Amino acid sequence: MPVVGAYLVPGTPLPYLVQDNPPWTSLVAGYQKAAKSLAEKKPDVLLVYSTQWIAVLDELWQTRRRVQGLHVDENWYEYGDLPFDLRIDTKMAKACVKGCASVGVKAKEVDYDGFPIDTGTIVAANFLNPDGKIPMVIAANNLYHDPGLTEKLAQMAVKTANGQKKRVAVVGVGGLSGTIFRKEINIAKDKIASESDDKANKKLLGLMRRGDGAGLKKYLPDYAGAARADMGMKHLSWVMGALRWRFSGAKVHAYGPTYGSGAAVVEFNK
Amino acid sequence: MAKGEIIAGFLAPHPPHLVYGENPPQNEPKSEGGWEQLRWAYERARASLERMKPDVLLVHSPHWMTQLGHHFLGVENLSGKSVDPIFPNLFRYDFELEVDVKLAEACCAEAAKAGLVTKMMRNPNFRVDYGTITTLHMIRPQWDIPVVGISANNSPYYLNTKEGLSEMDKLGKATRKAIEKTGRRAVVLASNTLCHWHFHEEPALPEDMSQEHPQDYAGYKWDMRIIEMLRQGKTKEVFKVLPQFIDEAFAEVKSGAFTWMFSAMGYPEIPGDLHGYGTVIGTGNAVMEWDLVKAGLASKRGAAKKPAARKLKKAA
Ligand SMILES: [Fe+2]
Repeated sequence: MPVVGAYLVPGTPLPYLVQDNPPWTSLVAGYQKAAKSLAEKKPDVLLVYSTQWIAVLDELWQTRRRVQGLHVDENWYEYGDLPFDLRIDTKMAKACVKGCASVGVKAKEVDYDGFPIDTGTIVAANFLNPDGKIPMVIAANNLYHDPGLTEKLAQMAVKTANGQKKRVAVVGVGGLSGTIFRKEINIAKDKIASESDDKANKKLLGLMRRGDGAGLKKYLPDYAGAARADMGMKHLSWVMGALRWRFSGAKVHAYGPTYGSGAAVVEFNK
Repeated sequence: MAKGEIIAGFLAPHPPHLVYGENPPQNEPKSEGGWEQLRWAYERARASLERMKPDVLLVHSPHWMTQLGHHFLGVENLSGKSVDPIFPNLFRYDFELEVDVKLAEACCAEAAKAGLVTKMMRNPNFRVDYGTITTLHMIRPQWDIPVVGISANNSPYYLNTKEGLSEMDKLGKATRKAIEKTGRRAVVLASNTLCHWHFHEEPALPEDMSQEHPQDYAGYKWDMRIIEMLRQGKTKEVFKVLPQFIDEAFAEVKSGAFTWMFSAMGYPEIPGDLHGYGTVIGTGNAVMEWDLVKAGLASKRGAAKKPAARKLKKAA
């Protein structure tokens, strides 16, 4: 079974919580376009990796059948709450935990009531999978895993999906340039923190748009350093691992600022 | 209203393992024990706190990390279940706490006056971070003293250690002013581990103490050097080597709680009382106390007359 869809989406809660703020409306619309395309692809499972779910010891995989609750972001609590109701493909998640050994990683199941689901996963799930129809497999961002190992984990997960004859869509949740404004701003006038960040983001998105996997791979380390990219763009490594860097191009459904940092909704084409 | 005072400060680290080892009714997972040296250290700290009878406990926690300025809990009653994202197997704790909102607001206002970006957290659904909760449980498991919870702005990591810690220094001075103006007798808690090099795998039985040891010998030696200086009251010297300690021992004091606490206390050159030291998955943790009343830096006034604390209004 092939990967039927691949998306890079923002994990910041701002566009979700304040959908009518002018600088953020295009991100909301972009997320909606991605949701529509995802639904048309009819995946059996969403393979999600969010930069904001941090692991330190083992690689963690959510294995609780249904995870419900109300989350409040530790930074942006003033804009509202994030309710969530996620359905997990437990069988596949458990198989991924076992499969981690094949890439030399120790992994653990996470099956606890009240476990703090991260903001990025919730935002992506609520936008892309609003009624929770598509079961999800969610993996943590282990801080000690480099981009290469993150790619291998995604490949292992896709292989696991294939073994279970499941149509999988892969979702990397995180931002682009990472500089946020450190003083309070009028959110109606939000913009990318600097021209150089904006330029770097656009260059990165251009490589995606043109389907230049080799160029993208080459540019990523420089980009990650210069633009203080979110977690070194490991969410992109996740998507590229699943695609094995093979894609013909990408639709950038949206690109815009989130309190100075860069965010984009990108859909990769076969 | 009498002028408020900081009567003591504690270095009060927050490994959730200590709560897990103790088996309090609030924590769902149960253990066979473990980390006794540190838990006994906290027992001694609890006894000191009981004698001090503060009006309020202020805690600065690295696990409420904020990007846009320094934040303060600003809802009078907060409750919920706190599950540690790294150790969900050890820490699933039902908490209920009362915030001294008036003092939190005063801290927020003073810090803003000092030029810091500040914010009051007013969302009643907010889940208090596990660092704050672990420190507060370990120092006062009765939960009967109001608290002020302060976030760790990410400036030491985002900017650099020096700039970040100079913000924490300002925050500490602002905290002191707010305490003085509101007339509180306060205890400040720095929720920080020392050397933060840790294991990369958890032992099969987490509380199997035959597996517990410092992860890094150089880091351990750093901890001993810092503790020895603190025991001798060489505060200036400690802050001189702090950046090097942070770099070489990956010390969690980088997040700012330790600097905030010392700044709030006025960097007293008095010997700290070491209640105990121990490692937790390899990291170095010391429970230490600076009693400013005993040192003659805060008055005894009112200490004997005050009740231990206001009782928490029990929520139904
Ligand atoms: Fe910590």
